[in-house]
Formats: sequence, structure tokens, C-alpha cells
Amino acid sequence: MEKVRTGKQTGRATSKRRGQTFKVPKMHQVRVKVNGTIQMASVKPEMTLVDFLRDSLGLTGTKKGCDIGNCGACTVIMDGKPVNSCLILAVEADRKTILTIEGLADQSRGHPLQKAFVEHGAIQCGFCTPGMILSAKALLDQNPNPSDEEIKEALAGNLCRCTGYAKILQSVKSVTRQGA
Amino acid sequence: MEKHSVIGKRIINVEAWDKATGKAIYGIDMKLPGMLHGKILRSPFPHARILHIDTSKAEKLFGVKAVVTAEDTPKIKYGAQVNDEYPLAVEKVRYIGDEVAAVAAVDEETALEAIGLIKVEYEELPAVFSPREALAPGAPQIHDVANNVVTHIEFERGSIQEGFEEADHTFEDTFLTSNVHQGYLEPHVCLAQVDGGGKITLWGSLQAPARNRDLIARVMNLPASKIRIIQTVVGGGFGGKATQVISLYPICAFLALKAGSPVHILNSWEEEFAASRSRMPAEIRLKLGIKRDGTFTAKELNILANCGAYAGTGPAVVSTTATRATSLYRFQNVKCQANLVYTNLTPIGSYRGYGNPQLHFALESMIDIAAEGIGLDPLDVRLKNAIKAGDTSVHGWVMNSCGLTECLQEAARKSGWKEKRSKGREESRGIGLASMIHVSGNRAVYPFFDGSAAYVRVNPHGGIDLISGEAEIGQGSNTVFVQIVAEVLGVPIKDIRPIPLDTDHSPFGLGTFASRVTTLGGKAVQMAAEDAKRQLLEFAAERMEIRVDDLECSGGHIYAKGSPAKAMEIKEVAKLALHSRGGAPILGVGTFVVPPTVVVPDQTKYGNISMAYSFGVQVAEVKVDRKTGKVEVINFLSVHDSGTILNPLLSEGQVEGGVVQGIGYALFEEIVRQEGKVLNGNFTDYRIPTIYDIPPISSAFIEVPDPCGPFGAKGLGEITQVPTAPAIANAIYDAVGVRLKKLPFTPEKVLSALREERGTKVPDEIKRSSHGPV
Repeated sequence: MEKVRTGKQTGRATSKRRGQTFKVPKMHQVRVKVNGTIQMASVKPEMTLVDFLRDSLGLTGTKKGCDIGNCGACTVIMDGKPVNSCLILAVEADRKTILTIEGLADQSRGHPLQKAFVEHGAIQCGFCTPGMILSAKALLDQNPNPSDEEIKEALAGNLCRCTGYAKILQSVKSVTRQGA
Repeated sequence: MEKHSVIGKRIINVEAWDKATGKAIYGIDMKLPGMLHGKILRSPFPHARILHIDTSKAEKLFGVKAVVTAEDTPKIKYGAQVNDEYPLAVEKVRYIGDEVAAVAAVDEETALEAIGLIKVEYEELPAVFSPREALAPGAPQIHDVANNVVTHIEFERGSIQEGFEEADHTFEDTFLTSNVHQGYLEPHVCLAQVDGGGKITLWGSLQAPARNRDLIARVMNLPASKIRIIQTVVGGGFGGKATQVISLYPICAFLALKAGSPVHILNSWEEEFAASRSRMPAEIRLKLGIKRDGTFTAKELNILANCGAYAGTGPAVVSTTATRATSLYRFQNVKCQANLVYTNLTPIGSYRGYGNPQLHFALESMIDIAAEGIGLDPLDVRLKNAIKAGDTSVHGWVMNSCGLTECLQEAARKSGWKEKRSKGREESRGIGLASMIHVSGNRAVYPFFDGSAAYVRVNPHGGIDLISGEAEIGQGSNTVFVQIVAEVLGVPIKDIRPIPLDTDHSPFGLGTFASRVTTLGGKAVQMAAEDAKRQLLEFAAERMEIRVDDLECSGGHIYAKGSPAKAMEIKEVAKLALHSRGGAPILGVGTFVVPPTVVVPDQTKYGNISMAYSFGVQVAEVKVDRKTGKVEVINFLSVHDSGTILNPLLSEGQVEGGVVQGIGYALFEEIVRQEGKVLNGNFTDYRIPTIYDIPPISSAFIEVPDPCGPFGAKGLGEITQVPTAPAIANAIYDAVGVRLKKLPFTPEKVLSALREERGTKVPDEIKRSSHGPV
């Protein structure tokens, strides 16, 4: 059975108090399936998916690096495809299925990609790791036996400043059908 | 070599699992009830007088809880080395991005809107952007210092005149290095909270919390005991979050004080490029005297470096540029003149190598120029002059261990140097090498001491807490510390837990810079573990009625040597000890201070600044596209003498990451500014290497144990990118016969050099200098 959670709802109004004016923004209802759970919430129209995941749902495993689609740290999987969640509005995620790092696998056992990144030394500061792993997962779901070039193409949008990528590449290769 | 059970093994990073599963909490993830969001108003002018600030409209905006300007602060200047900046501008702004005011509001949008409502009246002042302009007579004065000079270094050792007279040839050239950003992925971020007694707690993504605390206390006019910094997991640092704490942190604290609620500030990347501290650009004029047989006789340096608007760590950075690479070789006659100059650009700071990559670029390029000029193999020239163990360099640096010669030999052997050198010209392929030296701790940085302290607490439930004052920033120091404790106490890795760094509980650690953490921090951890072991054995000896000397620690047990049946579990001993001491656990304390042979250098920068020096050699193989000027690094080798390698897995990671940063520095990274404004302040326009830009990188370690470091280890973190640019420059020369003296080696520059070499006219749009720093 799907769990249903409801976010708080806000009406549309303007108000004046203590000489301060403010507008209550128009809110939109969204229904998003995140890591297998249906989430219902009302969101501001300008709220990005990364802020929705991190601030509204508390899923801070999705990292917010540049917030303008340059670094890939906020990568999540939406309907099977890797996306920069900072470039997607929360309202665009309505009726969509999202997978974040928290939902990748049973947290104690872990996903083979998580194990591979840990064991191959592909994690230093770790800030790029959740996004990197999700980009890799999206690739492997489509193509379980990618070539080096295909892995590079899939990870080209995920920046890492610590590792020099070599161990990341090795990690992903180790869980391809050929590497396993 | 002594046999170790954990040291030297490929132990996986003890923090990696939390990071892989998204559980690690970084600065950006911090949240407290009632938390407000802060935003900073920054100067739009490179140099201006502030006439008036009107915050009334911003204060009235619904949702705004506090607005601060310099009037809300004690107006005390601070700085990592020179007290020349305020957290919020007083009277003047000195660069585009200088902090003027800040707002805390219920959400980020409101804070941003409020920032836009603050009215600042400025009177623009003439600005200067290059050191030459800033030094010129009549140039605008940026601070109250003559000629805008932050630091002037001048020294002569031996006799430069005699040195050049002794030379058969002299070579002289000018090299230009660029301003590049650390490019850590997590921007500067802070959460500040004030308790009822006025004590301020800051959570931050910081590299040197104890020293950051002291700086923040200074500008807030508070005793350091009123400030507590808790380090979060750090999303990369590379020097950018080290001893020069940027104003964001005290501003966050001022806002939290005024608002009476916790405040969180996160820099945008635009702000990071405009107002965080990146690598110092320099113009380096280098003259080298050399004998026919390749012996160096003299070296003369003239350095002109751009500091930007505030000193920050600049004085120490330029001092590194002025000296460090010299100690690679047995120079006897050297002369140096260096000027670090204020300009109206974003202040520079420390970035992996701390001024060292700059001089390496000049010197290691020049050695190849000279070798070519006298018809010798550049490898042989380096071998001839290489410094050796037992030497004291011209700067007074004492080489207790040194594997430079072995690194050169190994690099040549592994890379196939003799077979490949000068053979690829037809295919525009080339091979080049460069040597490297770096410190393991720098006594010059903190005036009072260099050293480290650690506690190892053995808990009755079996867990062992490791409490160090040194900062893990992703490099893996906590893993190495855990290995050291495991080795000494003979307990499994999984039983040891590094405690997050908290200035209220951790020892005073100088921080992560100068490649000091493994060597000095590791030594303190080793001593703390040995102290805990001694206490455990003494207690067990009493209980077991055996002499201490007859006991041994292994597998989580203390047992009688030779009769393992007579044993006690360590946790049992810890429990009994705790019970017998009224609840006090076994607490090993390790205090390590560098030996007295390590000194603060004198005015001329003479003096042995580090306990141990690391060495190495990098070999780059490149292919140059003669049509487009694009340089591709096709193979890379990095050979290191960092003493004993405590963890090969993590060490390879340091090498691979460092080399790739070095490739970015060499080939394409550069912050481009116009009239002081950053034009490429994001990761699309300021490109850092992607997974597409990496060649195969192999690393090799010449393990000569150092007599001082823990288990013989020396520093490795920074050195890995120190000689990458000159190795590539030398390989480009080998490939196509053009010498690049200005970083980065963009296709435009390579193409321009190729055309000039052929004697073709270079179109102006190619020739046009790309926003050089000097």
C-alpha cells in the first residue's frame, strides 16, 4: 500500500501588518512519487525540484552545488532518466516518479554502485557522489554493459573536483555485466 | 621495513559509506528550528567610498528579521596575516564583491528582495587591476600602505654575481601564471546560532576551525570562548576554506545576534567567483646560470604578484613562490625580489600548493629551456643538480629524507623516457617531465607553534573515540588516523570512530593546509594511541599480575606474550579502569611539536620551515593538434617520495585528483575579469575538468621512510598538482617545438605560438592577450 503524506495548504491573499506589505504566493498542488512513497504538497510555482526534495521532504542526500545546472551534484532519476533537479520545477515533477540517493537501496545493504564507489576509493569529499551514482544507475538501467565511452558520456555532466574521475570510472565499470 | 598490520594497506575511507548513501551532513544541509536565511549585499564597484547606506526599506519588508551594516559591528580589522579587512565594509569598498550589508529573512527570496531594497550611495574612486598599475607613481592608494605593496621580499644567498660569472650560459625569460579557483563543489556556507548567554555556535564547511574561530572572535570583539565552531562534512576545500575565513562567517554571526534566531548563509557560485579566495597570479622573471655540464650556478628571480584587495594568506603564498622550488636543487647562489601588490580585484588566497605551482612552472620550464640550449637531456640536468638526503638547501632547509633522485630514475624507467623523448615530433606527440618539492607543515604560517594534539578515548563498550583538532575535508585524514590507532592498539578499524571536529571539545588544531595533517596530526594521533595503550597495559598488568613488558595488544585483546590464553579484552580493561576511576575513561593524550630544528624563517625567508619535505616527478605525454592548437594529455605518470605510504588507495586518489586539477590549471582554467568584474563566474564558462578530460594516470611511490613522520610518512595532498603545468609545457615543446610561458595553454595560445614559430603573421584576434593577470 502506498503511504500518503499531505503538505500544508495556503490560500491566495495579500495582507498588511505593522506597515509591512506582503503577498502570499499562489501555491500549486503536486503529487510526486519519491522513493516509492506518494508525496502530496503545495509548492510555490518557482520552487525547484532540488529545493522541494531537500527543504520540503528533508532528503538532503541530493546535493545542491551550483543551482544552475552546471555541476550535476543534484542529479536524481525522474521517470527513469537522470535530471539536474535544480533545473526542474517542483510543479514539473507533478505525477512523476523520482528516485533519490536515499531510495536507491536498502540503506544497510546498499546498492552495488554504492559499494563499488566505497570500495574503489571513488569518494573523497563525497559532495558529487549521490549525483554521480544516480547518473551511473540511470545508465546501467538502460545499458547494463556500457563501454568506457558510454560511461563517460553518461557522467560528463557530473563534476568531481577531488578524485580525478579515474576511480569513479573503475567503480562503474566494476558493476557492469562485463566487470561483475 | 617493519611489518604493519593496517598501515600501508588499502583501507577504504571510513566516511565513504555515509557519503555514498546521502547520510553525511554537509554545511548546506544544516537546519535548525526558526532558522532564517541570510544574503549579502556586495559592492558593484571595484573601488568606491561609501557615502550613505539606507536600510529602512529593507527593514520594512515583510519577513525581514535583521539587516546589518558595519554600524552593527565593532569595526575591527582582521586577516589571516595582516589585519586589513572588515567583515562589512567601513567607509570604502575595494573590489566588486566586497561585503557591504547583509539581511536575514524568513526565506532566501525575501532576503534577496531585501538586499535589492538597500540603498547605498557610493562615490566611485579610480581603480587599479594590475600590480604594475598599482605600483605606478600616483596610483590610487587602496590601503594606507605606500605603493600598494603588501609584501616585499628581497634576499641574496651566496653571490649572484659570482654565480653568473661561473656559468657557461645564462637563460632568462618571463613566465605568467593565472588566477584559478579551487572549484570545490560545496560553496562557502554557515549556520550561526546564539544562545541565551550570548555564546555563538557556527556550523561551517571549514578547513581550520580553531583558527577560524580566533579570527571571528577578533572581529566580533568577543573572547574566543564565546565562539564555538562545529565542522560539518566539507564538500571540498583545497585551501579555499582554510585560514583566511571569508567574511560570510562573521556576517552570519552578526545577523544571528541581531535577529535573535539562527541564520544560514549559502554563497551562490556567482558570489564564490566574485568573493572567495582563489590562486595568486604572478609574473615571474627568471634568470638561470648553468655550466656546460649542466650544473646550475645561479638563479635570479623577480616576482610581481597580484594580491587583490586584501592580504588574506597572500604574504605566505608569495613567500612560498619566492623560495620553495629552489630547494629542489643544490643551488648556492640565488637572488630574489618579490612584490605582492594590492589591486582592486578579488583578494587571492591559498589553493593546493600555496604559491608553489607558480614558481615550479617557471623553474621547471626554464630547466628544459636551458637543457635544450646546451644540448643536454633535461632528465640528466635534473639528476645532476638534485638535492639529496643529508643536504641543507640554500634556504636552510634540512633534508632528513629525500628521494628526488630515485623518483627521477623511476619516472624515466616507468615512462620509457629514453625511448620516447624527441621521437614524436612527426606525429606532434611529446613527453615532458618536471620535478616537485613541498613541505609537510609550514612553521612560517602560525607564529606560535607548529604541531598537533589528539586524544584517544577507550570506551568501556568497546568503541574507541579518535579526537583530533585537524580537519578532514575529504582527503581521508580521518581514515589514516583510524589506521594509526588500529595499528598501535591492535583493534579492528570498525571499532574506532573519528569524532566530528568541534572547537569546544577538540584540541586546538592549526588546520588543513601545508600538507601537514597526516604528518603532524598523524604523529599526535600515534602518540595519543601509544599513551592509551600504555595506560591499558598498566591497568591490565596489575589485574593479570604480569609485568607490563610481557603484555601485548592485538585483535582487541591484551594478552601475555607467548601465552595468548592469558588474555583480557580491551573493552573489559577499559570498563574496569573506568569503574576504578569514578567514571573517567582511559584517555590517551598525544602532543606533538615539531623539533627545534624547524624554525620560523627570518626576514629574508631563510630557515628550515618544515619537519619533512616531500618530492616527486611527473611525466606528461601530450598530443598537439597543429590545426586547432588543442593539447590533449594522453598519458600521465606521477612518482612520489612521500615517505611511507600509509594508505595506497587514498594516496592514489590524492594523486589522480591533484593531477587532474593540475591539467585544468595547465590547459584551460582561468578566471577572466574585465575592470574587476568576473566574466566567467560559473562552471560552464569557467570550465573545470570533466570525466572526458582525463588521461590514464598512473602513480608510483618511492617509499623511503622519513625519520620524523608517523611510521615514516610525509605530506602528499598538495604536491600532486604542483609540477603538472610545467610537465605539460615541456611535453608540448617536445611535441611541436614551441615554448609556452603563459598559463593556461589554450588552443589560441598554442596556435599563436605555432604560427609565430613558423614566422606566419598572427591575426590580432589570436594575438590579443587573454586578460592576463599582470
